[in-house]
Amino acid sequence: MGKRTGVYICSGCEIGKSINIEKLSQTVTGEQNITVCKNHSSLCSVEGYELISRDIEKEKLDSVVIAACSPRVKTGIFDFPENIICERVNLREQVVWCYEQGEEDTQMAAEDYLRMGIARVKNILISQPYIADDISSDILVVGGGITGITASIEGAKAGYTVHLIEKEKKLGGWSGKLYKQIPYKEPYNKLIEPVVKEKIRNVEDNPDIKIYKSATVSKITGQPGKFEIIIQNGQEQKITVGSIVASMGWKPYDANALTHLGYGKYKNVLTNVEFEELIKEYPEKQLAKSILFIQCAGSRDKDHLPYCSSFCCGTTLKQAKYIRDLSPETSVFIIYKDIRTPGLYEEFYKEVQKDDYLFMTKGEINEIKEKDNKLQISIKNTLLGDDIEITADMVVLATGMTPAGTEDLNLAYRLGKGLPELKYNFSDSHFICFPYETRRTGIYAAGSLRAPMDIPSSMEDAKGAMLKAIQCIEATKRGEAVHPRSGDKTYPSLYLERCTDCKRCTEECPFGAYDETEKGTPLPNPTRCRRCGICLGSCPERIISFSDFSINSVSAMIKSINVPDEFEEKPRILVFVCENDAYPALDMAGRKGLKYSPYVRIIPVRCIGSINNVWISDALSKGFDGILQIGCKPGDDYQCHFIHGSELTETRSENLQETLETMMLEPERIKTEFVEITDYYKITEIINEYVEAIEEIGPNPFKEI
Amino acid sequence: MIDINPDIEFKKEVKRLSNSSLNECIQCGNCSVVCTLAPDDSPFPRKEMIWAGWGMKERLIVNTDIWLCHQCGDCSTHCPRGVKPADVFSAIRQICYRHYARPKFLNTILSKPIWLPVAILIPVIVILSIIFMAGTLQIPEGTVSYSKFFPHAWLNGSFSIIVFTIYGFAISGLIKFWNDLKAHYHDTQPKKGFFRSFLSTINEILLHSKFSSCSAQKSRKTSHLLVFYGFILLLIVTCFAIVATLTHNYPLKFTNPVKIMGNIAGLMLLTGLGIMIINRLFNKKKYGNSNYSDWLLIISFFLLVISGGLVELARFMNWYYAYHLYFFHLVCVWFVVFYLPYAKFGHMLYRTIAIGFAKAIDRQ
Repeated sequence: MGKRTGVYICSGCEIGKSINIEKLSQTVTGEQNITVCKNHSSLCSVEGYELISRDIEKEKLDSVVIAACSPRVKTGIFDFPENIICERVNLREQVVWCYEQGEEDTQMAAEDYLRMGIARVKNILISQPYIADDISSDILVVGGGITGITASIEGAKAGYTVHLIEKEKKLGGWSGKLYKQIPYKEPYNKLIEPVVKEKIRNVEDNPDIKIYKSATVSKITGQPGKFEIIIQNGQEQKITVGSIVASMGWKPYDANALTHLGYGKYKNVLTNVEFEELIKEYPEKQLAKSILFIQCAGSRDKDHLPYCSSFCCGTTLKQAKYIRDLSPETSVFIIYKDIRTPGLYEEFYKEVQKDDYLFMTKGEINEIKEKDNKLQISIKNTLLGDDIEITADMVVLATGMTPAGTEDLNLAYRLGKGLPELKYNFSDSHFICFPYETRRTGIYAAGSLRAPMDIPSSMEDAKGAMLKAIQCIEATKRGEAVHPRSGDKTYPSLYLERCTDCKRCTEECPFGAYDETEKGTPLPNPTRCRRCGICLGSCPERIISFSDFSINSVSAMIKSINVPDEFEEKPRILVFVCENDAYPALDMAGRKGLKYSPYVRIIPVRCIGSINNVWISDALSKGFDGILQIGCKPGDDYQCHFIHGSELTETRSENLQETLETMMLEPERIKTEFVEITDYYKITEIINEYVEAIEEIGPNPFKEI
Repeated sequence: MIDINPDIEFKKEVKRLSNSSLNECIQCGNCSVVCTLAPDDSPFPRKEMIWAGWGMKERLIVNTDIWLCHQCGDCSTHCPRGVKPADVFSAIRQICYRHYARPKFLNTILSKPIWLPVAILIPVIVILSIIFMAGTLQIPEGTVSYSKFFPHAWLNGSFSIIVFTIYGFAISGLIKFWNDLKAHYHDTQPKKGFFRSFLSTINEILLHSKFSSCSAQKSRKTSHLLVFYGFILLLIVTCFAIVATLTHNYPLKFTNPVKIMGNIAGLMLLTGLGIMIINRLFNKKKYGNSNYSDWLLIISFFLLVISGGLVELARFMNWYYAYHLYFFHLVCVWFVVFYLPYAKFGHMLYRTIAIGFAKAIDRQ
């Protein structure tokens, strides 16, 4: 390749004590084509850095390999000009701190890792970011409820032009239909006017927010930085935006499924939404003498909504409060499963509870009957210790939230019109790690579209999602990836001449980055890409690569490893670890001084979904005895940063195992495991157990070939 | 299946008497867990808290558990919402006295400070009338001899009649209470004879054994024991004194064993009441809410003992105001003894009956 590479080995942090640095540098200089190789007792010192910088100039280096600590630390120190490739070989956390001092195996591991680092450097390129033309800084907000309105205001405040689309004639959504709102600050004993009222005025007065009422989105094409939107509101309008906030909100759970609670059977059984609308319309209405609320009506119920919508308890307390304010003679009964008033709502709960005319108990509704125009509700398992019967004039069912759905976005994507959904049909997001990210890059879900939410939470959420939308535009302008590989300037390049139109990449990309031609040839949308490399892993023709992560770069690393023959009784196991959780877990294990087998060689990958089968076959033919892939947890409660990566690898490995069997190889030679970032104890156990299992199976028969 | 028809007036009264924000109870059950007296099976006071919140007067006033509580305050100390179950129980007990009071007005005049003048005027007028009828309504001359002011025969005769009349009425209320208990617990077969249950109840009361299990208020047992035995002793001394007016040379000498016993009893009462007053005044958080009814009992008791001591002293010292003090003392006697079944002091009767009943149905 003719790269001019400098290798720098640090002997600080016990590295020098554990490894024979001299021998190490002699080995690599003997084997590899490198320009300079130097040792230093502290590469991260000013002197160390200057040593490297001087060499870069003097020796005209285009790449440096720093064999020292983990690439996850001291990133600010080992920061070289953009045209210099910098590879960090993790001698400290993953060799010296986890292996026995001065042992032959430790030395061998250090040598292999240095070989791998050099091999990688020789096979990667400096990234040239993909920067599209005409990037739009406008932001589209779909849905004009409290979330959409708040997002729009925040976007405009940050200096962006916002297009707000609302399908109804008026802005405000459900929160616009409220009679009163729960106070979210002192004093908690007074209901407040819905905050949305003022926000609607703010939005309508803001010149940076373009509002489209009675409007729908009929088509979205393009990618972050340049989404083409077709809006339908009487006439067709076309706009271009850089990113999108989806805030279509929620709809009430269909109470027609609640006939057992008298809905649809008795006219005085209403839902909480209907009751709110009734009072908003007729606040002067003479209220009945006793009103009974049934909490969790169709919620936390396996036959209906299995989850808690989190807002209904507060809403019932609010409705009880205004009933009592409006009608001093009315008694209010609340039958609940548990009262859930998170956060400061507890204060409001306490205030409402003070009312002498409020009666609350846990209980299960046995039956609701109508007699003489009154409702008789029999309740079992109450806190009163007996089954009770209450006669009420009206029953209000506290029904929950269901997501409004995202099909209305009408995405012209290969992978469907809406956003992918998770459990209970809420739109895709990871509520801890990346709450706003959907699997459609540049489109950020906010509010009760992604989880049941009350007004203050929706407003918070709107801000978060708008911030993400802004980040996305700015990152796209710089040609960088968004979460979770923020700042990554690489992007997949496809050697389409060799593409067989197998559609594996277009189907397996979790983010819908690829559209395709009628024939099935992938049409990449680079700014939709999250740079996970799952397409690279999926491609049987191996035509997808990133400048710093490719079939060749990893193959070269595998091939550079010195695999001892079977008589040496030193098995070799290749471990692909996910950069996101497994790799840091290994670093932590090293930091904690946890020991694991020195027979493993670790290669970090962007996601275990990016492991291409060719690497497995490279490893097996090189003589590796086993291949372990460690990623993040798949499934409903996934922790995989790229959602499907772990799952895909599991399936691919199962297929590979079948192939191994046809080759008379043990299927156990390939194994997939999952860890969390905190599992540093577990990851060492996983490795040791696997090494033991492989030792039992015996050496790879391809070793001698 | 019970029909719910909350008695909101009752609920308001419980809140007023207990000064508890009753409704804020979240039924977490901490109170029942920390209570050392609550039975394992449907323990109090968690359930009573919701009954009170739901205005279920009928089931609360015939509930034995209200009386099994000795108001140690452990529940109030551990309540995360500060709804003071101990004080709520005390309030329910007060409502119970009122419910079973015969005649009702005797409870009414003791329930609020506004009625206090009436409560005082009744004994003042009645005692003055009796003395008037005895023809001795003036401050006698010479050495102090109380029989000159209120002849023993008149005193013992009239007060005995009043005691029997008032307790006759009161007992009719207690019988109603007893019958209500039986009706309420009709599903529960008595496991023990009532007589045996009462014997064990008396034993428990004499030993004050239930008091020992409270952790929040240690000194309560001491003070209550002192007051309890002081009162019993004084009662015995009084009975002896009534007999003595006929058989002995009355008043008794200072060295008379009965007289000495009476004075010791007085000191016991004084000490016990002193501790109670100090605790209630200066340790409100621990000792709970003290309402009018609590203070009425403690203060009249305290004044009774103080005035009793002074009356005795006045006789020996030949004070001019001896007769005024004596009259005041008689009014105090009236408060403590005659008003007893109608206010907080009624717990002696109601609690004994309720605990006896609870023991019989094996609820403890």
